[in-house]
Amino acid sequence: MLTYTIRRLLIIIPMLILASFLVFLGLELMPGDAVSFMADPETLANMDPARLEAVREQLGLNAPFLVRYFNWLLCVLKGDFGYSLTSGVPIKQIVFNTLPATIELSLAALLFSTILGTVLGIISALKRGQMTDNVLTIAGLLGMSVPQFFIGLMSLFIFAINLGWLPIGGRLRPGYESFIDRLPHLILPAVVLGLALTAGVMRYARSSMLDVANKDFIKTARSKGLSEWRVNFIHGFRVAMTPVAILLGLRLPTLIGGSVVIEQVFQWPGIGNEFLSAIRGQNYPMVMMIAFFMVLATMVSSFLIDLVTALLDPRVRLS
Amino acid sequence: MNPLQRKLNKKMDILIQRENSGQLNRKNMNRAIRRALQNKLALVGLGIFLTIIILCFFAPLFTQYDPLKINIRVALQSPSTAHVFGTDTIGRDIFSRILYGGRLSILIGFGSAVGASFLGVVIGAWAGYRGGWFDFLMLRTSELFLFFPQIILCLLLVTMVGQSVGNLLGIFIFTGWCGIFRMTRARMLSLREEEYVQALKVLGVPEPIICYKHILPNALGPVFVNITLSTAIFILQEAALSFMGLGVPLEIATWGNILNVANNLNILKVNWWIWLPVGTMISLFVLSINFIGDGLRDSTDPSQQG
Repeated sequence: MLTYTIRRLLIIIPMLILASFLVFLGLELMPGDAVSFMADPETLANMDPARLEAVREQLGLNAPFLVRYFNWLLCVLKGDFGYSLTSGVPIKQIVFNTLPATIELSLAALLFSTILGTVLGIISALKRGQMTDNVLTIAGLLGMSVPQFFIGLMSLFIFAINLGWLPIGGRLRPGYESFIDRLPHLILPAVVLGLALTAGVMRYARSSMLDVANKDFIKTARSKGLSEWRVNFIHGFRVAMTPVAILLGLRLPTLIGGSVVIEQVFQWPGIGNEFLSAIRGQNYPMVMMIAFFMVLATMVSSFLIDLVTALLDPRVRLS
Repeated sequence: MNPLQRKLNKKMDILIQRENSGQLNRKNMNRAIRRALQNKLALVGLGIFLTIIILCFFAPLFTQYDPLKINIRVALQSPSTAHVFGTDTIGRDIFSRILYGGRLSILIGFGSAVGASFLGVVIGAWAGYRGGWFDFLMLRTSELFLFFPQIILCLLLVTMVGQSVGNLLGIFIFTGWCGIFRMTRARMLSLREEEYVQALKVLGVPEPIICYKHILPNALGPVFVNITLSTAIFILQEAALSFMGLGVPLEIATWGNILNVANNLNILKVNWWIWLPVGTMISLFVLSINFIGDGLRDSTDPSQQG
């Protein structure tokens, strides 16, 4: 287990460094430099060029590219991510304010899609070749074909506007205290975000379950005279779920990418919405740092998922 | 004959009768139905696909309105005989915008899929065939791309290079080649061990020719299926980016850009005809591509047949 952990770490750390390098490269390529971000354009235009140069020198902006990169990396490691161009608030603070909302949304969507996807996939596999299976297959294709934001718009139109069952958007209102208060706001975005993933999980669970159904230990279980239910769920299900759990890691980028779109549709005050408004406002440092955070989140969680699957399935860590 | 024996005999008779009439063969029958149904799905898909293609590319035959013509006097009209799907906030005919917008959306989707596949195949074939440092480098790069949520990467690149149709095409190709790359590479890894490859090497055929002319055609089957499926994905991505106002420049009509106005809650609430038909159109088109792609995969890839 320890070797496996170290091996995974050895893969993930160079990739993190590479990602941070790309982010820095992006920051460098964006128009303007740190000095022009610090003063308003008018002052800048009237400033003595020699003094401008001195400020640049003092800030280390004239140092070679790699030196600047390492200085920047040190700052990031110390937790100093810079400041938002538009509001002057530290980026760290913005990220920590909006991240919980996104995590809440993503976790809910992940939970929803995993449960629904596995259940439907297993039903589909057990009813293989029958009407139920065909209907589920078509439904899965439909789920992959309809744009996520369009499902979002329709669900807003039907459930929030016309039926009025659920709130139209947002997350918090004055007077909200507990999770239960926020729950109605969470339902629509989480379900819509989860639906797109459900189709994939369903397909995967179905083929994995079918795969397991032909294995010898299932025949053994059946020949022992165990009930069909026990054979499928106690013996088959457990083994069939390992690949589905691995798929979890592969779904994370889709989940995080999808949350940007869904947060926009439902006005969910998460990091995705912050990202979009930073892009619209050409707030480059924010854009880059948030992108870096999203990649960081994907990498770290897929690392954790790898560890969990390795714990569950010895074959993974020995291969 | 005691009653029990008679009962058993009767049961046996029924069973034999059923078997002869093919009823006991239920499992096989279902499988046949499933196959047929899947083919039927692909056929339905093809039907929808062709209808939409014809509607979009022969748009002038089906609508007399200019998709860009602004006419404030007829703004926000609900569907009528004059305007089948009504008009938008500045009086442009929605139906004609959907048809003309479809042209660009489909072209962007298809163009990016072809471009990304081409890039993936060229790099993947060489990496899989030669191995070594190039293979290692490209494999790690593709892993990095897979870790990056694709839409975030697209958004980042859009901020860097700006919004335009060409840029979007380039961005999609740049971010979308990894899947095909990994697929081609994996196929090449096993194909390069074949005996005919050794024969070609002995004959002194140049390596690029062995790689691209002799081995690659054997690896291309799944790639063609993948082009259809990635067309679907890219169309969805263009729609999502344009919906957020960060894809194709807003003044150009594409499916995503028509949907962009639905960001406004009031329009979402009252003017359903602006966003519902175009959303349905995207969904139908992508669904038809997925039907076709699925049918193609089932008929070309024996490992996927169930």
